[in-house]
Amino acid sequence: MISMTENIPVVEMRNIKKNFAAVRALRGVDLTLHHNEVLGLVGDNAAGKSTLMKVLSGAYIPDEGEILIEGNKVHLNDPLRARQMGIEMVYQDLALVNKLSVAANVFLGREAESRFKRLGLFSVMNQKYMEQETQHLLERLKINISSVRLDVEGLSGGQRQTVAIARATAFNAKVIIMDEPTAALSVAAISKVLDLVRELKAQGCSIIIISHRLEDIYQVCDRMIVLRHGRKVCDYPVVGDIHEFRERVVAYIVGARNDFPEATAD
Amino acid sequence: MSEMTTKSIQEESLDGKKLLEQFGGKFLRLFAVIVLFIVFSLTAQNFFSMRTVLTLALQTSTITLMGIGVTFAIITGGIDLSIGSVVALSGTIAVMTAIAGVPIWLSMIIGLLVGVVCGLLNGLMITKMKLPPFIATLGMMMVARGVGLTITNANAKPAPEGFGELGNGTVFGTGPQFPGIAYPVLIMIAVAIICHLILSKTRLGRYTYAVGSNEEAARLAGIKIQHVKNLNYIFSGLLSALVGIILASRMITSQPNSGQGYEMNAIAAAVIGGASLMGGVGTITGTVIGSFIIGILTVGLTMAGANYFMQQIVIGLVVIGAVTVDQLKGRK
Repeated sequence: MISMTENIPVVEMRNIKKNFAAVRALRGVDLTLHHNEVLGLVGDNAAGKSTLMKVLSGAYIPDEGEILIEGNKVHLNDPLRARQMGIEMVYQDLALVNKLSVAANVFLGREAESRFKRLGLFSVMNQKYMEQETQHLLERLKINISSVRLDVEGLSGGQRQTVAIARATAFNAKVIIMDEPTAALSVAAISKVLDLVRELKAQGCSIIIISHRLEDIYQVCDRMIVLRHGRKVCDYPVVGDIHEFRERVVAYIVGARNDFPEATAD
Repeated sequence: MSEMTTKSIQEESLDGKKLLEQFGGKFLRLFAVIVLFIVFSLTAQNFFSMRTVLTLALQTSTITLMGIGVTFAIITGGIDLSIGSVVALSGTIAVMTAIAGVPIWLSMIIGLLVGVVCGLLNGLMITKMKLPPFIATLGMMMVARGVGLTITNANAKPAPEGFGELGNGTVFGTGPQFPGIAYPVLIMIAVAIICHLILSKTRLGRYTYAVGSNEEAARLAGIKIQHVKNLNYIFSGLLSALVGIILASRMITSQPNSGQGYEMNAIAAAVIGGASLMGGVGTITGTVIGSFIIGILTVGLTMAGANYFMQQIVIGLVVIGAVTVDQLKGRK
């Protein structure tokens, strides 16, 4: 018997509108993410993809619309609140601290305390625990880094990306948002990152990926949404052969096709 | 045990090399101190004696304490130019409150509070008013100096008896052969240990490095940048005030003109010790070693007959040399 929770989407964004002065960045966008689904978010520059995800991650507050997490209406007033609700964001520039170790980065802002707890900023950290947990995390995700004590700046681009993704999964995230996870990576590194996404899906995560690279979306996503000028113009499962897929998606991105039933005339 | 996929031997040794580099810098510096000590022992008369070591420790304690304080500011990616003026102002106010009849221990605490207030003001200028640290602390340097001169009319004022105990007292003395370890030296050791623990073991320490290395990433991680910066500048002010009180105690007078130029030596100590003005890099042990390099050079060159100007040239060259070595290591 399918439990009730599996029918409720992990994330539901309804009629999200966001304006910046005269610019209508989002004009009433709906987005649904189901449990254990990998959703691709696609669109040309300034289509509204980053804005929509910033609304979800708490960086922006929408002018209209509502957000539901597992069926419950929430107000994501700031990134901290969003994280508390289980929404984790992997930024395009990764937001890693170069001069800190892998373990320190994974636990950044959420350090484990040992003795002298509750001294606020002066509390002593439990280094050993954090290093062990990070080691286990990397092993679980099949990420290949020889020591969690290495400073992040010594890692390759692909390794840094995987560390940033691992950090997002480390604290019981309900949703992981990845902003252009494969941009600026070598072919080998892209392959590793996509493997990691598949591994995360196998372990039950729900993921939204913003990407320009349609071939990556095709490889790992279950479903895909296209935004154009702040509106959703396409919402399809990822099926069919790669060429047909590309043609169809590009047509929606540039506006050659505009037959999506829910697209509001505005 | 682990599921690590096989790595080529090359990759393994590369990571090991990176780890070694991370920790190797400090050994190089410690080595330099030892070498310097040996060189001066061999070439300068009377260098290798207990008296010299004790004098060295006492004289260096000033730079060490100020250097430790400014290290906190430097790691956050900022700088604190006001430390010399805070030395003068806090010592002066401590003495003046003692003259006014306040018990000595309390007037010294008031002196420390002066440092805390100056540090907090620096922090607020930087976090709330968004002033660049250089400008904010430059302004504080001038204002604090001016305030100290104004309230004393630029005169040195003698402190009451008893005020001199802190700066001139010693422990474990056994007579003229071994006068004992001076209080300021003990304070230096205690402060160095405490500050090292704060920077390396507490969340404040970690956030200090995070803010200095990538402030935006720290903010996105939920770290309260403003609190972190304010606390670091408070440390800088507090330790400068400590030095101010110690110096005033050693002289048993208030010296509104003291401390001028000390900020440069303190910053030099931190930089020689490996701190980077770009932020995110620096350690207490490094700064202590850096200050002792300066101290040994100063004492040793003096005993070898070199004058003050020669010392300046040598120390300046050491600063340039130390940073160059760091740059070269980083570029490999």
